[in-house]
Amino acid sequence: MTPGSATIDTRVEIVTPENIAFQYRLAGPFHRLGAYLLDVLIRVAVTFLLFWVLMLGTGFAGAPGFGLGAWLIVWFVMDWFYGGLFETFWNGQTPGKHMLRLRVVSDEGQPINALQAVLRNMLRTLDSLPLIPVIPNLIELPTYQIGLLASAASPRFQRLGDLAVGTMVIVEEPQRHYGMARVNEPEAIRLAADLPANLPISRGLARALSAYVQRRQTFPWQRRAEIAKHVGEPMRVKLGLPPGTSYDLLLCAMYHRAFIADRVDEPAPISPFAEVVPTGQPPGHHHPK
Amino acid sequence: MKVADLLESRRDNWRELERCCYWMDGRRLKKVGAAGVRRFAALYRAACADLALADAYQLPPNTVHYLHQLVGRAHNQLYPSRSFVMAEWGREMLYDLPRRLFGDNCLRLAFVVFWGVFLACMSCAYFSPQFSEAVVGKEMKEQIEHSYDEPLNRNDTNERSIMAGFYVKHNASIGLQCFSMGLLLGVGGLFTTISNAAQLGTVFGHMASVPQRANFFQFVTAHGPFELTGIVLAAAAGMRLGFSIIDTGGYSRAASLRRASREAMPAAGASVTLFCLAAVIEAFISPSSLPYSFKAFVAVLSSAMLLFYFVLLGYPRENA
Repeated sequence: MTPGSATIDTRVEIVTPENIAFQYRLAGPFHRLGAYLLDVLIRVAVTFLLFWVLMLGTGFAGAPGFGLGAWLIVWFVMDWFYGGLFETFWNGQTPGKHMLRLRVVSDEGQPINALQAVLRNMLRTLDSLPLIPVIPNLIELPTYQIGLLASAASPRFQRLGDLAVGTMVIVEEPQRHYGMARVNEPEAIRLAADLPANLPISRGLARALSAYVQRRQTFPWQRRAEIAKHVGEPMRVKLGLPPGTSYDLLLCAMYHRAFIADRVDEPAPISPFAEVVPTGQPPGHHHPK
Repeated sequence: MKVADLLESRRDNWRELERCCYWMDGRRLKKVGAAGVRRFAALYRAACADLALADAYQLPPNTVHYLHQLVGRAHNQLYPSRSFVMAEWGREMLYDLPRRLFGDNCLRLAFVVFWGVFLACMSCAYFSPQFSEAVVGKEMKEQIEHSYDEPLNRNDTNERSIMAGFYVKHNASIGLQCFSMGLLLGVGGLFTTISNAAQLGTVFGHMASVPQRANFFQFVTAHGPFELTGIVLAAAAGMRLGFSIIDTGGYSRAASLRRASREAMPAAGASVTLFCLAAVIEAFISPSSLPYSFKAFVAVLSSAMLLFYFVLLGYPRENA
C-alpha cells in the first residue's frame, strides 16, 4: 500500500523485531465509545453484584459494616484501576475492548507495560471532562469532550491519557477474505491462450490488473469498458490484436496469464517453491467481493 | 509457479496461524506448551516472510491486507504486555522514588503552595469568622462545629469499617483527581491544591477558635501527617506531568511528557498508599476514646516514618 492510502485509511505501519513492516488499523473515538460503554456496563454490574455478595456474606456473619466498608474499597478500585489492571493482565484489552476486538499498544506497536496501562486509565479523569452531575459528588455523567477533542486533533486518535504514556488503540479485525479472484469467462481464457508467450507484465501493471479483476464484477459492462480502456487500448496496439477486442476481456486474459496459469506450451519457470507441487485446478474457488 | 498456486500452498499455514492466534489468546504460556510455541513461532515467521515478499510475489491487494492483519494479530500474541515485576517495583518505591522526590522541584513547589495557603487561611479563619463563612459556607461551618460537639467515643468496629472504606474511596479519589488535573499544564493541579489547602486551612483555623477545639484536634491529630502528605504528593506528581510539557529539557513535548509520566506514576502510587494508611488511622484510631497521648504518639510515629522515607532514604548519596 502506498503512503497516501495509509494516511487516508488511518493505518499505522509497525516495524517488528523480525524487521517486517506491517500495518494496523487505528480505532477511532466512536469505535472506542462502544467498548467503553460495554466496560461501564460490566463495571456497574460487577460492582452491584459484589455489593450483594459482600453484604449477604458479612450480614449473616453479623458484621455488615465490614461488608459495606470492603465494598466501598471495591468501588474505588473499580473506578480507578479496572481498565489499568485488565489492560496489564489481558495484554492491552479490557472485556469491552476484547468484545470489539480493540487492543491498546504502544506508539511503536509494541505491547504496553503495567505503568502505561494504569496511567492511561487514571488520566481518563481528565479526558472525561466536563462532567454532568446527576447526583452531585456521587454520580456524575462523563461527556468525554476533552478526550474527543484530543483524539480529533491527534493523527493517531490519541486522547490525553494515550498521549501522556505513548499508547494508541488499534483494531484487530479477523478477516477471512484473501483468495485470488478468478476469471470465469471462457472467451477471456481463450484470449489468454492467444497472447504471445513473452507477455510483458511489469509489477505496477500486475498490481493494477489484480485490483481491476477483483472489483470488476461490481461494475456494469459499460463502466468496465470505460475503466479498462485506459490500459487496454495501448496494450491492444502493443500486442497487435484486432480493433474491437473487448478491453475488459483483454485485461482478464492478461490477469489470467499473469496470476493463474501459463500457456500450456510454456516451460514452467524455476521457482524457489519448487518443492510445493502445484496440482492443476485448485479446489478453493474465491469470488471477489 | 503462479501466484494462484503460491496462495494455495500458503493457505494452510495462514489458516493454522489464525487458529493458533485464536487459541493462544488469553491462555497462559504453560498451557500452550513448548511444542505449541515453537509451531506458532515458525508459522509467524513464515507469514512475516510472505508479507515481506508480498510485493515480489505480486500478491493481490486483498491478500496483502489479510496478511497485514494476520501478522499484526500474531505479533500481539508473541509479544504480550509486561506486567508488574514485584522486585522491580520494590526497588523503585524504596530506592529510586524517595531519591527522586528529594530533589524534585515540583514537590517543593506543591509543599510550599499547600502549606502556605493552608497556614494563611488558618490564621485568617482563626481571627475572622466572616472569612471562614466566605470560604466554606455558613451551613458547612455549622455542620462541622456540630459534629464535634460530643467528645469522641466511637469504638464500634462494625461502623468504623464502613468509614474506613469510605475514607479510602473518598480521599484517595480526591488525591488521584488532583494528580490527573496536573496534566493541564500544571495549572489544574495548582488550582486543586490551592482549593484543598484553603478549605482545610480554614476549617482548622476556625475550629481552633471555637469551644469544640479539643474534640476537633483529638480527631485530626492521628491521621493528619499521612493524609496531608498524601495530598501534597499527589499534587506534586500531577504538576510534574503538567510542567514537563512546558519545560521539556531538550526533548519534544510528547517525549518529555512520556518521560515525566514514567517518574510521576510511582509517586501517585505512593500517595494512594498514604491515603489508605491515613484512612485506616482515621477510621479506627482518630474517633476512638483512646487517650490523646496515644493519638499524638501515632502522629509522631507516622511523621517519623515519613521523614525516614523522604529524608533518610531520599538523601542523595555518592554510590547511587
